[in-house]
Amino acid sequence: MPSFREIQEELPNVLETNMTPRLELRHICKRYPGVIANDDVSLSIMPGEIHAVLGENGAGKSTLMKIIYGAIRADEGEMVFDGNPIASHGPSVSRALGIEMVYQHFALFESVSVVENIALSVSGKFDLTVLANRVRDVSKKYGLPIDPHRFVYNLSVGERQRVEIVRCLMQKPKLLILDEPTSVLTPQAVIKLFETLRQLAAEGCSILYISHKLDEVQVLCDSATVLRNGLITGTAKPKQSTPIELARMMVGADLPETHLDPSTTSDTPFLNVNHLTAPSDNPFGISLNDVLLSVFGGEVVGIAGVSGNGQAELISFLSGEVLFKGADTITLGGKDVGQLDAGYRREQGLAFVPEERLGRGAVPPHHLSDNAMLTGHRLGMVKNWMIQRGKANDFAAQIIRKFNVKTTGYESAANSLSGGNLQKFIVGREIELGPKVLIISQPTWGVDVGAAAFIRQALIDLSRTGAAVLIISEELDELFEVCDRLYVICQGQLSKSLDRKNTNVEEVGLLMTGLNNNSNSDNSKAV
Amino acid sequence: MRFQIERRAEPSSFMRFGAPVYATFSTLVVSSIMFALLGHNPADTLFAFFITPLMTINGISEWLLKASPLILIGCGLAIGFRANVWNIGAEGQLVIGAVCASGVGLFYPAPESTLLLPLMVIAGMAGGMVWAAIPAFLRARMNTNEILVTLMMTYIATLLLSLLVHGPWRDPDGYNYPQTALLPDAAMFELFDPMYRLNTSILITVVAVFAMWFFTERSFFGYKMSVGGAAPLAARYAGFKQSRSIWVGLLISGGLAGIAGMAEAAGPLGQLSAQISPGYGFAAIIVAFIGRLHAVGIVLGGLLLSLLYLGGEAVQLSLGLPSALTSIFQGMLLFFLLASDFLIFYRFTPSPKPTKGGVT
Amino acid sequence: MTNSSRREFLKYSAAAGAALGSTSLSNLAMADEVLKVGAVYVSPVSEIGWTKQHSLGVDAIKAALGNKVEVTTIDSIFKPQDAERVFREMASSGNKLIFGTSFSHGTPMQKVAKRFPDVAFEHCAGIKHTKNLGTFEAKYFEGTYLAGVAAGHVSKSAKIGFIGGFPIPDIVGPANALLLGAQSVNPDMTCSVIFLNSWFDPGKEKEAANTLISQGCDVICSMTDTATGVQVAGQKDVWSIGYASDMSQFGNGKHLTAFTLDWSSVYVNAAKSVATGTWKTSERWQGLSEGVVKMSPLNTDIPAAGKAEVKKAQAAIIAGSLHPFAGEVKDQADKVRAAAGGTLSTSDIRGFNWFVKGMVGKLG
Repeated sequence: MPSFREIQEELPNVLETNMTPRLELRHICKRYPGVIANDDVSLSIMPGEIHAVLGENGAGKSTLMKIIYGAIRADEGEMVFDGNPIASHGPSVSRALGIEMVYQHFALFESVSVVENIALSVSGKFDLTVLANRVRDVSKKYGLPIDPHRFVYNLSVGERQRVEIVRCLMQKPKLLILDEPTSVLTPQAVIKLFETLRQLAAEGCSILYISHKLDEVQVLCDSATVLRNGLITGTAKPKQSTPIELARMMVGADLPETHLDPSTTSDTPFLNVNHLTAPSDNPFGISLNDVLLSVFGGEVVGIAGVSGNGQAELISFLSGEVLFKGADTITLGGKDVGQLDAGYRREQGLAFVPEERLGRGAVPPHHLSDNAMLTGHRLGMVKNWMIQRGKANDFAAQIIRKFNVKTTGYESAANSLSGGNLQKFIVGREIELGPKVLIISQPTWGVDVGAAAFIRQALIDLSRTGAAVLIISEELDELFEVCDRLYVICQGQLSKSLDRKNTNVEEVGLLMTGLNNNSNSDNSKAV
Repeated sequence: MRFQIERRAEPSSFMRFGAPVYATFSTLVVSSIMFALLGHNPADTLFAFFITPLMTINGISEWLLKASPLILIGCGLAIGFRANVWNIGAEGQLVIGAVCASGVGLFYPAPESTLLLPLMVIAGMAGGMVWAAIPAFLRARMNTNEILVTLMMTYIATLLLSLLVHGPWRDPDGYNYPQTALLPDAAMFELFDPMYRLNTSILITVVAVFAMWFFTERSFFGYKMSVGGAAPLAARYAGFKQSRSIWVGLLISGGLAGIAGMAEAAGPLGQLSAQISPGYGFAAIIVAFIGRLHAVGIVLGGLLLSLLYLGGEAVQLSLGLPSALTSIFQGMLLFFLLASDFLIFYRFTPSPKPTKGGVT
Repeated sequence: MTNSSRREFLKYSAAAGAALGSTSLSNLAMADEVLKVGAVYVSPVSEIGWTKQHSLGVDAIKAALGNKVEVTTIDSIFKPQDAERVFREMASSGNKLIFGTSFSHGTPMQKVAKRFPDVAFEHCAGIKHTKNLGTFEAKYFEGTYLAGVAAGHVSKSAKIGFIGGFPIPDIVGPANALLLGAQSVNPDMTCSVIFLNSWFDPGKEKEAANTLISQGCDVICSMTDTATGVQVAGQKDVWSIGYASDMSQFGNGKHLTAFTLDWSSVYVNAAKSVATGTWKTSERWQGLSEGVVKMSPLNTDIPAAGKAEVKKAQAAIIAGSLHPFAGEVKDQADKVRAAAGGTLSTSDIRGFNWFVKGMVGKLG
């Protein structure tokens, strides 16, 4: 592995070398119990530079950004801002220096207006009307249209991100940090965001752009630092590198490929949703509106959409965690199951992998054998109300072996596994149940590339044995890789079915914004 | 050097066993200093506290007699606590159990019958269960907070007891003192030996401990309840019904507390009086947590707490220490014990050294 | 309680008992041996109150027998379960004379006394005495009667407030006598009663005292183990009557008097007779004439006539010419309980479960 310094020498800096870097990190280290999040990380960013920090989930990117912002403290190393070392750091120091950060998960208060949210980050006295005008000015200048008086709970995720960015821009930042900003955006919104960022950079603001998406980094960034397991594995000029080069630095190996064989589908749908309409029972939830969905045996069907458009509500109705009080709306193998709970639906051949692994898909402090039993108890693990521990252990061991779960054994606690390994275990458990229908939400969220490919292949293989597989995901690439058919969900409405071969990212992206829908819903809400 | 608290990646198995040792050691050191400062020989005091009470057969009999209800109630509570069902009102269920059982004992038409004692056990258990069923119903149906309801029900129970012993059930020959007549002989648990107070009700506790172990470690229902406690969303995900856990958690703990109350009336008390419980229902909460909600741990916890009571009396009797001092000592041991549990999941590490011009 | 079959078991386990060393000790201590005495208190020994007066009795034993006696005490023992264990422990560790100081110690003491027939038990406030369990009790009503006379002279509202621990005869009787004493001065006097169902609950007691004062009572008498009643009365500037100890330090100058308890003669006599092997079970019920009940100094603000009348009544009771419950005594329902010229019987007084006329309140 080439060291950071060697690469630095090979690559002359793209920007003028006589300038003082906006920010310089020297030998940053941060250790957590059992893991080194950042190991001797050094990098520098020039004024007006858009610098990417690339890496897979868990590579240490977010930790590094939080160290820069002062939200957490490094164990070792130093930081120099505009040539001056930062002695004692913290978020307030950051703000004073002009460092602003847009988090992956926004910190906005739902029940108050945009301008009131922004007012919370203003120190000293302020006038709400003046502030609202400034918000309007800034948002106009940078092409981030937002009404300062709207309530946050009314805003789409994209709009919320705009609020966060506007909030940062109002402070006239010298360095803006964005943590995976596009994971919640439609393809169209991503293009708009990039325009804004380029405008900012042209004004001299440095931007640190954290991502694991190669294509975006190649389009946007001047330079990139690649992290893997907390270490710098390389630096690059993304516009001059190939995706394969970048991927190799990120993953440490070539990307595995998925094989999608042609499917033969069943005659009748295994899972059918017939005009499901369900008003939300809380003001921040999404109401489902006339959802029509069918999944046949032998195929993989995807539901695309930006999170928070009704996926969670739909999944709960499908899994039986929330019951639906209407006849013949949700059928499983032709049987009306709307009012039957999750346990009963599992008896009928349903399996389900939720988005939340710890606490929903698995019990965090319980060992893997117990977690295998969570849904696997149907496979003869209970006799006369007593647990057959041997069988549970065997089942857990079988999942660990077949699905390559890296662990010390079935006695390990679920919360001791990495995200990817736990996901493999849960997916393995549900597949080993031999389901007729498998519903899986965000199958590879936070999972490393190798494990993700493995999981995707396992899903395809399951469908090819005749099962119906329904994937709900935010990652369009993933859905295009594994699905036979696609639906798009937006504001609680499900699009018509799209054949993967006859659609493309643009069409799906438009549907994600709701622009292609026949309904007259408020389009601005969906972006 | 400064220290910071850090979560362990994995719970330390060394500390899992080391924590009680750590706690005992800390208590011994701190209490020795305290006793020495107050002019008592630490070695003598600790000997009187922990060893003297257990040096006679009578002492051991008393030790088990007091530990038995604590363990019995603790087992029931732990089953609920594992499922996030917080029955804080075992004291009230104990009282109602004692009331129902004593009612049978006092008014059963055949006071000589050998059926009397079994009937009282059933009545005591049923009473405790009914008292716990009220909060169970309210939580399962109306999502009320069972912590509050069970606690409130305790006040109702003690006042109900007070009403009975001051009124209709008052011993006509008892000079108006708030207590009932003595229970008939057939209503009393047999003593193992007439010299000592330990009675056969401890066998119920022994059975309960094994049953509790079996239920929590081997039964599928116990497993389902522990899933509901550790991760409620996972229980819903798997299709385990929460309302069943609530009912079972409260009914078992209520029933066992009721039996414990019955065993007090039909054991060391022999009658019903206004103050039937020396706080066993509340102390058992401590026992359940010292025992980490595990059957073996609860037995040890109950024995420890019982020994602390006896030891407190022993140092008063043999060394003349004030009761306030022994209370401090008891509190200190429990504090160190629960505080040491923290070390299973967390550890102290030196704070990182601030480097020159560093980020820290 | 044990049945006959259990008593048969006793034979078989005699060996075990002997091994324990509890029943095999020589019957009574020799004159030159050190006598071991135990006392069980119901609450911690504080400055004043019931337990303090008992601890003074224990102190009197130490003073009288010096190094011939070794005393062990334990406090805060109230629940019968705990009490039985402590009495057993004391009996089996060589104590030859053991005092119990609460009614709730009664049942446990009866059980333990049976097991240790060669140990002398003395139970204060007890009602049942057996072969080796004696009982002693004070005639509180003599004290309350005199306090009532004083109250009758100072009360303007003609209302007394009484706070009792439990509605037992030992409290009901004194409450009745308090009113009768007051009525001997002013026949229109009434007395309102609140029971706490606890000997020690300052919070509840404070509430009760405030309630009584707000109802117009201007003399407060509280028979509990605290000085709270006296304190509250002092703060509200109404008269108060102390119980067990002289509580004038808490009364803000409004402490009328207190009927105090002095058990030292009982304690010393019991210890001396056990030491000499002459102890016999007995039932003692003693008052002003034996010095078990004493009156603390009268408040100087009591009119001279009142003071004189209290002194006169005290002398008459000691001389036997005045009985607080001398007829005619009517109950709340106007029924005559003792005809004019007669007196309530001892069993009536020790078993009081009714209030005299003029009492406001109800018994359980």
